[in-house]
This record gives sequence, C-alpha cells and structure tokens, in this order.
Amino acid sequence: MSGGALDPATRLAARERRAAWLMASPALAVIGLVALFPIGWTLWESFHLHDLRMPWRGRPLIGLANYVEIAATPRFWSTLGHTAFFVAASVTLELAAGLLLAMVLDRMTRARGLLRMAVLLPWAIPTVVVALVWRFLFESPGGLVPGLVWGDDLAQAAFFADPVLAWIPIVLADAWKTTPFVALLLLAGLQTIDRSLYEAAEVDGASAWRQFVDITLPLLRPALLVAALFRGLDAFRVFDLVYVMTGGGPGTATEPIALYTFSTLLQNLQFGLGSALAVVVFALAFVCALVVIRAFGARAFLERSA
Amino acid sequence: MLHPFLRIAGAAALAAAELVFGAACARATDRVLTMSGSQVGREGEVIARQLERFRQAHPGLRVELRATPDAADQRHQLYVQWLNARTSEPDVLQLDVVWTPEFAAAGWIAPLDRYDPPVADLFPATTAANRWRGALFALPWFADVGMLYWRTDLMAAPPADLDALVRIVKDVQQARGVDADGGVPFGFVWQGARYEGLVTVFLEHLGAFGGAILDDGGRVVVDSEAAVRALTFMRDSIYTDGVVPQSALTWQEEQTRFAFQNGQAAFMRNWPYAYALVEDDTTSKVAGRVGVAPVPGQPGGRPTAALGGSTLAINAYSDQPDEAYALIAFLLQPDQMIERAAIAGQFPPRVSLYDTPELAAALRVPTDEARRIIEAAVPRPVSPVYSQLSELLQVSLHRALTRQQEPRAALDDAATAMRALLARVQLEAP
Repeated sequence: MSGGALDPATRLAARERRAAWLMASPALAVIGLVALFPIGWTLWESFHLHDLRMPWRGRPLIGLANYVEIAATPRFWSTLGHTAFFVAASVTLELAAGLLLAMVLDRMTRARGLLRMAVLLPWAIPTVVVALVWRFLFESPGGLVPGLVWGDDLAQAAFFADPVLAWIPIVLADAWKTTPFVALLLLAGLQTIDRSLYEAAEVDGASAWRQFVDITLPLLRPALLVAALFRGLDAFRVFDLVYVMTGGGPGTATEPIALYTFSTLLQNLQFGLGSALAVVVFALAFVCALVVIRAFGARAFLERSA
Repeated sequence: MLHPFLRIAGAAALAAAELVFGAACARATDRVLTMSGSQVGREGEVIARQLERFRQAHPGLRVELRATPDAADQRHQLYVQWLNARTSEPDVLQLDVVWTPEFAAAGWIAPLDRYDPPVADLFPATTAANRWRGALFALPWFADVGMLYWRTDLMAAPPADLDALVRIVKDVQQARGVDADGGVPFGFVWQGARYEGLVTVFLEHLGAFGGAILDDGGRVVVDSEAAVRALTFMRDSIYTDGVVPQSALTWQEEQTRFAFQNGQAAFMRNWPYAYALVEDDTTSKVAGRVGVAPVPGQPGGRPTAALGGSTLAINAYSDQPDEAYALIAFLLQPDQMIERAAIAGQFPPRVSLYDTPELAAALRVPTDEARRIIEAAVPRPVSPVYSQLSELLQVSLHRALTRQQEPRAALDDAATAMRALLARVQLEAP
C-alpha cells in the first residue's frame, strides 16, 4: 500500500473516532470546567501565600509552606480526630438502626408503601432545618431535652457548653436524618435474599438469632458495605450540621475538618492556607474511598455474582 | 418604503433613547455620593432623614445608600472583596471600630487628619481605636460600650467590685430562690458563646483585674498574672460560685437580654441597645427597675467598658474624597448625633454633648452614667490582624470556660499563637 492512502475501513474508523470525540467534547468541557479546573486552581492557590486581609503581603509562591503550617497546627490534627470520631459514631449508629428498620419494613405485609414513605421523611428535610430543630431541642434553657434531664433547675449544665455532651445532639441529629437512607439500601438487599434459605433453616431448627447471624448478615454484606461507604464518605464531609448546632464549639471540641477549612478560607479569608486544607481534605477522602473500594468492593461484587 | 408598523416602532425606539440619554444627562449634573452601612430598624429611619437634610444643604450632591448585610462578618467580607477590587464606590464606609486598622494598613481608607476633624471634642478612646501608625483613618459615629445592668429592686447600689457582685448575687439568690418564677436562677448573665462578644466580656474582666491583651507597644500580654486571675474568676463564677449559668457559654446578646428582662437575672452585661428594650413595660418584667453602671473593677484594676460602635471612613479609591468628608462632617454634627441618640438610643462620641439638656432629653440612659461608662471605655487591640487575634483568643477563652483547659494553659496557648501571627505580619510589612 502506498503511504498516505488508507483503506476505506480504517478511514471510516478514524472518522467515527473523531465524531465520537466531537460528540463527547461538550460533556468533557463541562467536566473540565466544573471539576478539573477548580481542583487544579485550588492546588495552584495552595502553593501561594494569599491572604485577602493582608494585601501588603502580596501573593508570593511559597511552595509547600502552607502544608508545613497545617502539619504543625494542633487544631488541624484535633479536627481530624473529631471527624474520625463523628464518622465512626454516626455510621455505626445509622447502620444498626437502619438494619433494624429495614428488617421491620421487610416483615411488614400491609401498608408497606405508605410506611416506607413515612420512614423516608426525615431524609427529605434539608440538613440545616434538621440542625435547627435539634438545636432547639437541646438548647439551654428552654430546650425539651435539658428540661427532661435536669428538670426545672435552670442554672444546670448545658449540652452545647460541654465538650463531650455537645456530641450527643450532633450524632443523634445525623442518625435521625440519614438512617432512612441506610434502611432503604438495606431493605433492597434483604429482598434479594432467597426465602427458601430461611425455610430450610427453619426445618433444621435454627433459632431466629442463628438465622440472622448465618443467613441475613453474610448475604447482606454487599448492601451493608455500600451503605457504609456512602455514609462514611458523606459523614467525612460533615459541615452544615455542626456549623448550625455548635459552630464547632465549645472551644473547638466538635469542629470537623470541613468546618475548619471553611473558617480558614471564607471567614479568615486566608485563601492560600485554606486551599491547602481543601486539598488535604480532598486527598484524604480520595484515599479513604480508594482503600475501602479496594479492600471490600471487589469482594462484595464477587459475592453478589456468586 | 417602510411598513407603517416599523415606522411607529422606530419612532418609539428613538423616543425611548431620548428618554434614557436625557435622564442620564440630568443625572450627570447631580453628583452622586455613595455610602454604605447598617440600616437596621430605626437606624434606617434616622439615616434616611439625615441624608435628605444633607441634600438640601448641598444642592447638586445626591447621596445614595448602598445596602449591605446586617451581620457584621458578612459586611466585612463584602467590603474586603470590594476594596480588593479597588472599586471607587461606596465613597463613605461605615466600619465596625475594630476594622479601622486593618483597612488602614491595607491602604483601603484615606487618612483624615488633613480635614482637621473635631478630635478634641471626641472621647479619647474612640479616636485611639481609629488611629493607625499615628494617623487618624476614621471618625467615631456612635460609641457602643459594655455596661453593667443592675436591678434597683434587688439592691440599693451597684457593686463596688466584682467580689461584691458575687456576694450580692448569692444574697439575692438566698433571699429570692432560684425558681424560674420569682427567683433569680441566672444571677449574672453575659455573652459567653464563642464569638466576638466573648472577647469584649473578657476585656472587661481583664481591665477589672488590671490586665490587657496587648500592651502600649503592641506586645502580647494576655498571658500575664492579671489575665490568668481574670479568666479564673470568670470560670469560677460559673462552676464554683454558681453565679453565672453554664448555659451563658452558648449565649449571645439577645439570650442574655431575655433572661434579664424576664426577671431571672440580677445583673447583665450588655450594650446600650438593650436599655430601651428592658425598660419597655410591654415586653419587660423589670421595666422601671433597671440601673446601669460601669462593669466594676477589682482592687488593683479599674472599671472597664469594652468599646464597640461604628466609625465612618473614606474609601481610598473614591473620586470625590472632599465631598465624602463633607458628608461625614455633617453626620458628626451635634444635631445629627442627638437625633440618633433619641431614635436609635446610640451614645454620641462628642464629650461636650453630655453637658447639654438636649442630649439629656434625647437619651434614655442618664447622661452622667453614660459618660462615666464611656470614660471607662477601652478599645480592643488596635491591630490590622485584629480579627485573627480575636479568633485565637475566642477559642482559648472558650476552652478554659468549658473546662477543657486550665486558664493559664489556655492563655499561654493563645499568647503563643498571637505572637506568632504578629511576628509573621510585622516581618513582611513594608
């Protein structure tokens, strides 16, 4: 074949490839514009000293100095600890309560649709509204819960003024709001389990507890993992709930990493340092997701297809 | 040959163009001065009225108000964005007093000394807060000061020092009980949430014990013995003496006002705005039984009032700074200040007004008390990085008050972080 001339089939394939790129290009451009560009810009910004409140310091390139400063800040490490605690506490609670709820819904024979809708209601309420309602419940004085716990003694302790007690309304509010979501995921998982397995177990005389441990839990594992992954990543980014309920207080005892980033970036207007924090949060979430998917994801899929 | 409809449309378009350009020309002869600031409630009413009088006195000059968010943080953020972009509007900026050094150091507001402002007649604290490197950058519009509200039905006179205050609360609680109805469960209420208000409350306790946040040379001294004693006193008044409710650590101004006006507290630390409200017998149970005094000192310290309030400054990028100053001078005239005092209840920063019957008639707080409190006023640290300093302090104070840290350790942490911040700023300043 002489150079330059291609056979018709190759030319056709090339043309189709071009057409494919052309058709995909608007979508790619949108992704580039709204996802890649901001991430890249944040990364670039994180290598600068850029403090909107100190324009006399200019905007010099300072390499990794922002990251060094973050690593040397105790408040950063404590926000990481708070975030980890919040993820562990809220996801555990939500999985347990969600599983219970899913099993109840699974057993229901009548009015199941109606009930499912009712159960989903908290999930449909905007987080800020949820946070406000739960704050009112726990506020001192006048909140319902402090009244129940401490009675009429108005000068008594206050949930939001105690570094440990302040976590209770936060975790409860998150669990209340997102348990329905977990329950729905788990309900779908429960309904894929073959009923005949339970019948066989019944014949063999297995107790309800044995059935739960040996049939329900293992077969529900993929659904549980998906729920844990979704909720874990979501809980890692917790912001609005804490912002409204405690503002990260008392002191910084309930401050998660997202709130710390927000106050650095948007309240103190330290764009360089705040961007570096945002990059750290992004990297952490990315690595966590990767690890979880690597460790459990593949196996979950294998089990499901088996 | 045009279609008749097109001819009509063309004529209409021409007429519309004429209208637009004509209006623009008429407008161009009227110079427009812009001003931004708070227009909350009665403040909006006063400023509208005063700007109308200014327009009558200055033909050819119109003043437009630029709406800004009511929340101080948001207004600050908006200003920073505007001025970073070097916009020439608004010409006149209403600033919170603690922003002046920041805006001055950034070169965003113009020095005012060349206009020969009436500084001799202004309370010294109110101008000290508005100086940066010796030059005056803003003029006080009204002075907010922290005051001690006390109940005239529960005691004969306000306490002479903080120990006496604690004793009075204990006596009153003994006599009246701590029930929600009829008792005084809350004793002494102040703003203890982790926000700017906590720093002002701390500043008053600090002054009472003879301490300061920064010394005259701008060095951090918030870890001094006096400061440790002041913070320990604040903590102990919650947990040991039980005269301040623990829930006050989540309260801002309004929650303290509700507790006080419901009769549940013997003392309240608050700004002047609360006076008219707690004396309003339609909503307040303690109307007619309220006195005000400076927050008392301790032996070795002095009564101290945190200074707040608004100042007026000229945008450094303004095209018409002279006109902008004319507006500021107008708003600072005694008539305008007395009107503001009458309608919005705000304290004028002019010393001489406190001897006049006009102010006595306008201001609901007795003028000699108001003057005593303003004379006790102390500005918060005058620093271009005040807001960051304040945030560091808020966190440490709140940690100590919620018993996560001992007062000394908390103040040491705060002082270390504040020194590091100041060192960084100075190092790279021009």
